[in-house]
Amino acid sequence: MIKRLTVLSLLFLLVFPFSAYAGIPLDTVKGHVNSILDVLRDPALKGESGKKMKKEKIRAISEKMFDYTELSRRTLGPNWNKFNASQQKDFIELYRSILEDAYVDKITSYTDEKVLFNKENTLTEKTTEVQTTIITKKADIPIFYRVISRGDTWRVYDVVIEGVSLISNYRSQFKEILMNKTPDALLDTLRKKVGKA
Amino acid sequence: MKQTGIYLLALIACMVIVVPSLYADSSSPVLEPPAQVSTVIPETAQQPQPETTAAEETSKTEAETEFSEDEGNAITIADPIYPWNKAMYHFNDKLYFWVLKPVAKGYSSVMPEDIRIVTRNFFSNLTTPIRFVGCLLQLRVKDAGNELVRFVYNSTAGVLGLADAAKADFNIVRRDEDVGQALGSYGIGHGFYIVWPFIGPSSLRDTVGWAGDYFLDPVSYVNPMEASFGIRAYDKVNETSLRIGDYEDLKKAAIDPYVSIRNAYIQHRKNKVDE
Repeated sequence: MIKRLTVLSLLFLLVFPFSAYAGIPLDTVKGHVNSILDVLRDPALKGESGKKMKKEKIRAISEKMFDYTELSRRTLGPNWNKFNASQQKDFIELYRSILEDAYVDKITSYTDEKVLFNKENTLTEKTTEVQTTIITKKADIPIFYRVISRGDTWRVYDVVIEGVSLISNYRSQFKEILMNKTPDALLDTLRKKVGKA
Repeated sequence: MKQTGIYLLALIACMVIVVPSLYADSSSPVLEPPAQVSTVIPETAQQPQPETTAAEETSKTEAETEFSEDEGNAITIADPIYPWNKAMYHFNDKLYFWVLKPVAKGYSSVMPEDIRIVTRNFFSNLTTPIRFVGCLLQLRVKDAGNELVRFVYNSTAGVLGLADAAKADFNIVRRDEDVGQALGSYGIGHGFYIVWPFIGPSSLRDTVGWAGDYFLDPVSYVNPMEASFGIRAYDKVNETSLRIGDYEDLKKAAIDPYVSIRNAYIQHRKNKVDE
């Protein structure tokens, strides 16, 4: 009996540290990134139609992975409150389209890259940074996902690539535009960019 | 023999820079970071955080505090020579699309990727003095030692630096340090943003840093000058060939590419200094 308990507790000790150190935020990001990698490596998705399917699937994953409202709010910062409710809604949609257009194409060009999930870095009570590295043949690229606690899950609200925060970068651009333009004018600029003008 | 001369020169250059820097370091608290000078005054400084009443929903309160938290991290840079910078941004943009990219594409069509990566390793190994001194200037003796070990090991086991053997065998990775970062670590701010033709985004501080790097780069001592420029141009083409698409993606993602690049530059440099 005692022997069995020892074995059990040893087993427990062996298993427990992994689940304790690899926290929920890291696992959440890892799950999404791995499902994207699965889509990219799916041998059934070939050619032009396959590429289209891949993009669709990646979009669907990004929907679950990101909190676009949080991302938009933090990107605009204090300017967020200058937008009324419907403007905010439009902004979130347009911004999401821009980000998807910009990054989904790039991601679909990846195939044999390896991703390391290095560690978690707690930022605030509700936010954590999951540090990963993409290993490519040409270089190792550090990519950090900043996630926020949303109910029982964690959603990405910022991506920091080689030290450059996505939302800070866009914030600097939007800030410059909003210094001389109204929220509506900014939305028009975004519509043109997305091609829905 | 010539190479020994180059490294002797580099070593002398180190000493010339290290000695005054020791004084600079001890007096570093006096150096007020001019980074605070910015075109855009952080919003938090302008307006105090709105007091949120208990009646307001918690999520909003959170958002407010997090805005200020993000804003606090926001880094800006003064851009007083904007007309020049914008002109140079356009110049470099055209230079890339009309000259650099076609050349790099032609080059990569005849040169296999593996060889281009090996070439990059070779150039990277040559610039060890820049990183070594960059570490020393920050009194990061261990990192400096690692750079030295990398240089010796990669030059021998890695065959003239063609392979990054130190990373492969001992996981000693390259520390991207330079004189500009060392200056940054003393608390010296960027001053203002400068875009140089051919070279690209920089700042007052990093331009001074580059001047230091120039003297630490063995390629600068190649005679005649044309050969030195030729080697640099080749390095640039080789590097570009490994990065075709990056600049295009950045531009495609941006709403205002000029502002996006300026911000990416200072964020990237700040991250390097903090590292």
